[in-house]
Parts: sequence; structure tokens; C-alpha cells
Amino acid sequence: MENSTFDRRQFLCRAGAVGLAGLSLAQPALAATDIAEGYGVLVDTTECIGCRKCEYACAKSNELSDLPLEGFEDRSVFNEPRRMTADAYTVVNRYDDTAHPERPTFIKVQCMHCLKPACASACLVGALRPQSNGAVTYDPWKCMGCRYCMVACPFQVPAYEYDHALTPKVSKCSFCFERVSKGGKAPACVDICPPMCLTFAKRSELLTLAREKVKAHPEQYLDHVYGEHELGGTSWLYLTSRPVTELGLMEFGEKPIPEYTEPLQHGIFKHGVPPMLLFGLLAVATKTFHHKEDE
Amino acid sequence: MFHKVRLTIILLALALCAPAFQGRADSGGASMSQKADTGGDCSPCHRTSSPSMDDLLPNSQCRRPRAHENLREDDAAVPDVVTMGQLTDIYVPVVFPHGLHAKMEAIGNGCSACHHHGEEGKIVSCRTCHTESTDPGNLRQPGLKGAYHRQCLACHREWSHDTACIFCHAKRGALGEAASKPDPTDITGKLHPNVTVPEKKVYPTEEQEAGSMVTFHHKDHVDLFGKRCVDCHQKENCSRCHDSAGPQKHVRQDSHEDCVKCHDTSDNCAKCHKDHEEGPFDHDKSTLFMLKEFHKQVACKQCHTEGKFAIGKKSCKDCHAPDWFSKAPKEFDHAKAGLVFSEAHKDNECEACHPNGLGEAPDCTACHDDKAYPKDLPGQRVPEAPEAADGNK
Repeated sequence: MENSTFDRRQFLCRAGAVGLAGLSLAQPALAATDIAEGYGVLVDTTECIGCRKCEYACAKSNELSDLPLEGFEDRSVFNEPRRMTADAYTVVNRYDDTAHPERPTFIKVQCMHCLKPACASACLVGALRPQSNGAVTYDPWKCMGCRYCMVACPFQVPAYEYDHALTPKVSKCSFCFERVSKGGKAPACVDICPPMCLTFAKRSELLTLAREKVKAHPEQYLDHVYGEHELGGTSWLYLTSRPVTELGLMEFGEKPIPEYTEPLQHGIFKHGVPPMLLFGLLAVATKTFHHKEDE
Repeated sequence: MFHKVRLTIILLALALCAPAFQGRADSGGASMSQKADTGGDCSPCHRTSSPSMDDLLPNSQCRRPRAHENLREDDAAVPDVVTMGQLTDIYVPVVFPHGLHAKMEAIGNGCSACHHHGEEGKIVSCRTCHTESTDPGNLRQPGLKGAYHRQCLACHREWSHDTACIFCHAKRGALGEAASKPDPTDITGKLHPNVTVPEKKVYPTEEQEAGSMVTFHHKDHVDLFGKRCVDCHQKENCSRCHDSAGPQKHVRQDSHEDCVKCHDTSDNCAKCHKDHEEGPFDHDKSTLFMLKEFHKQVACKQCHTEGKFAIGKKSCKDCHAPDWFSKAPKEFDHAKAGLVFSEAHKDNECEACHPNGLGEAPDCTACHDDKAYPKDLPGQRVPEAPEAADGNK
């Protein structure tokens, strides 16, 4: 933790040394082809019963809270929709269905792990990066706390440790990166889910599975896999029985957020045109004024 | 000789029972034959024409069909209580009242409602197919934990409105012991309480015509017409009765679906859709065939053998002739016709009183000048027994 402060200072020094060369430090997102074969999770919201075991497993696995299991059995939390916080990388919300009051829909939300993440594009220091296994990871050692990612994220996922005055971190689901990449296991929430409504597999396999489910039970699912195309695709995919707008999920187009911002940014700084132009103009101006003084 | 008689009796008994066995086999056979109906092609229900155990994915036409329903030949083989304890970690094993659920299988969707996708003719337990963790090679088949939960919750989340884990699971204490030990005997043999059959139901059918309604005499269908609950109540969900929050579930989407099994609903809507509540079934009024006391005691299906009441046996001779008229008199017990002869009449030939033919009203004038049937009788009436009419001697 303390290191991160040091690290930030160090980073700023280095950044200063680099000066105003105009080089963008934003890391270009990985090409979509690199991560198309990454992992994902298919959330079958029609099977979710709102037991909040995923919240419990997440908190335990990421050491976010020492709340015992009983702490997650309180169902009154469903009375208000919740957002992710620094202590909760994932939350489950309930959305009542007036047509079927006996079957409310429960929606688990967490980082969607976009294939072309806006947070990573906005991050000045490359602390957020899409990985080839489908996760979008966060490196607190690089983070300087600008919180651009929180503004950039279309799903409003990243939270911030506002109560850590000296070493605050951005907090969001890590896709249990360590468990998945080193332990060969599924994320903690997937492992614990009692009705197994979370399926962890290669994203392409999940899309096939989702399409099969929709085809086999058109009365149960809407013919739309949320996350398949939204904003260029996300690693987490949702099957729902109701329009996503009724379920606290926002509708998006297919164009990834970075494709709106990056052409502008990158276009300006391409081939060092602005500095060359700036210094060229300066050179011309200096020379002109020098000539005038000489005269 | 004695053995021969005994053998004959046994054979006779078997022969008499045969229709009963036949009936049982038929009732279950209907579901078994679903597969045969498609001529060996499984694609109407499955995605592929010849599914394997690895690829049983049903298509959109099929939701856990009865195609693989097993016939529950042996009730003793149905476990009363199943303790599910393979996956216990946070909680202690779940004691599942299997018998309680099995007793309701007919009204639900048969055993296959839960034991779906099984090999035909066999009931297999969940863990036969569902491995403890999901097989990465077969994402369509959830692991055992998912299979258990989805199966139970499919109904329970609707009718109990309670999906809290503690509803089924008892939690482990600090030492791994159950906080309260579930007692398997606690639920053993518990059955669904008897359901009260409603007298009648009046369904408003305003969409057909203003003020229109259908009176359904539920009790008549059970008591008189011999309908079993499962004849109409098939593929029911517990929440249909138990879900108080969803009253709309109690209305059938298409009530004709059930009625049409016996009634022709294709024309003459006014036969059922009336502007007033209809009284209970009255054979005299509805069929113009007056039932006198003897026939009133005959079970409907004695005459209406086809099950469909409109196609009943129309002629008395279908029951009473030719055997009855020619042979029966020799052994005929006249008491069955409601009259026990006095000593003076006991040995009369049948034709002496029934000169116009057996089954016709008697004529006393051959012997008596001052007697006439039915004012005078040749004996005593059997208490509450029928009048000698309708073809009785």
C-alpha cells in the first residue's frame, strides 16, 4: 500500500522528465482478435434466486469484508438498487416483475470486462489493461488516482476507496485474475453459485450456449445476449427474460467507447505532428524576430 | 379334482382382472408411445434426430417431456426420503421428502418432471448424469449442485416465494455439526393433504358474449362421470394452487383444452355458454331418457362403456338381450328386480306373469280377476329397490 504512494511520486517525476513531448501515455487497447478467445461468464438471470452467495464469495476471496455469511442473508438490501462500492466488487439487485410478482428478476452486476474497455483507454498511466484471458485488470502500483476510469466506464463500475486518505485505490472486479490464470479455477462467485446460473468458459462457447438456450426455450429468454455486441462486446454476458432496461442495465450501441475518443486523440498526436508544428512555428517565429532585431 | 377347480378359479380371476391390468398399462403406455409416434425420429423433441446421452438438448417444442417417463410399477421402490449430502460445505445435508413429491407425480408432469432426460424406461438419480462440477466439455448440463437447485427452485421459488437458503438448508455450526439436526423420520410418509373437490365453478365468459357464463359442475365430473383429477389436472405447477400472489395462474389459458377431451366444443357454444347458472346434471332433462329407480343405481359406465357419454348403449337389449331374456330366467334372482315373491308365486313360470315377453310389465289377469300390476304385487318389495320396469321380470 505504502509503495503505491511512493510509486505515484516516482511516476510523476518520470512523467515530468519526459516533459511535454506530447506523447500519449495511454496504452492502446489490445486488438479484439487477441481477446476474442478469452474467458467469459454467462449469467442466466432467469435462474438467479438472489441468494447473495456470490457477494459473500467475492468478499471472502478478495478480502473485502470480514462479514460472516449471515451478513449476506439480509434480503432487505433488495429494497433499493445498489451499486458496487470499494467493499463490494459485485452486488445483486432485485427487479420486481408486475406481470409475474412471484418471480422477481435478480441481476448480479460487476465489472463487465469489456473487450475494448473505455476505462483502459481513459487511463493515463496504463493501470487498467484488458488481458488476453478476457479480464480487465487493475494495477494499483501504476494508478495515480485520477479516477478518469470511473468517469469513462459506461457501466459505472469502478468505485474508489475514498476512506483511505493516503493510499486510495480504484476498486472493481478483477475476474479473479489470479485464481483463473494461476489456479485454473473459475472466479469465486461462479464457483459458489447454488443454481449455477453463472457459467464460466471461453466466451465463444458461452455465446453458442446462450443461443442454444434461447432457441430451446424462447418462452424463457429474450433473443438477445447482453454483452455480445454492446460497446464492442464484454466478457460477461447476460441472458434475460425481460428487456434489460427494466433490469437496471443500460442499452448501448455496438461501437466501443474508445473508438469515439481515440481517433481524435491519436489523430492529433499521430507522427508527432502537433509538437513538430509547434516547434516549427516557434522556430519560424524566432527566426523572423531575430531577423527583425538584426535589421 | 380339487386342484383342477382351484386352477379354474385362479384362471377365471386372472381373466377378470385382465381388463384392469390392461387399463393400467394403457394409461402409462400413452406416454411411452410418444417416442414411437414419431417413427423413431427423436427430432420433434430433441435437437438431433438421434440424441446421445451427451447431447440430449431438447428443442423448443419440448419442456421435459413425458417421453421418458417411467412406469412406477413398484411403489415400494420409490424412496420416501432422500438425503442429499454430497455437496455439503456450508450447510448440513438436505433431507428431501421424495415420497411426498412422488405421490403428486400424476398431477404434475409425471416422474419425468424431475427425472428428465433419463434413459427410457429407467428412473435414474440426479447424480447418475450430473457430475459434481460442471463438465467443461458439456456446458449444457449443469453440475449436481445446479441440477438440485434448479429442479427444486423451478417450483418452490414460485409457490413459496421464499428463496432464502435456510428454507431448505440447516446451517453447520462452528464445529461442522448441524445447528439443529434434521430428523429424516420427521417427514417420512407425509402426504399431500386431500384436496377438497369444489361443488361447481362458474366461469364468466364475457369475451364470448356479454353476461355469458359457463357452469362447470366439478363434483359431478368426479363422482358421476368418474373423471380422475389427473384427467384434467395435468402438467400442473404447485404454484397454481399455492401461489396466492398470482391469482391469474388459477385461470386456465384455454379451458376448451380440457373440455374438448370429452365434449365437442366446435359448434353450439350455447350448450355451455349460458346467460345463467346451470343446475347440476340431470339425466332425464339432458338426455330425455328417464331413469327410474333401478337404473338410477346403475353406474354410468355400465351403460356408457365408451367413456364418452354421448355414445352410450342405446338399446336395453345391449345389456339385457339376448342372453338375459333367454337364459337368465333359469337362474334369475327376481330380488334383483326389486321384488321377492310370496310363497304362492314363487314357483310360477316366468311367462305366466309376463305373457307379453320378458322385460314387459306383468299381467295378473290370467289368474286374478281383481288384481292389477302395479297396484297389487305378487310379493314384497325389496326395501328401496326398483320397480319391476325397464325390462326386468
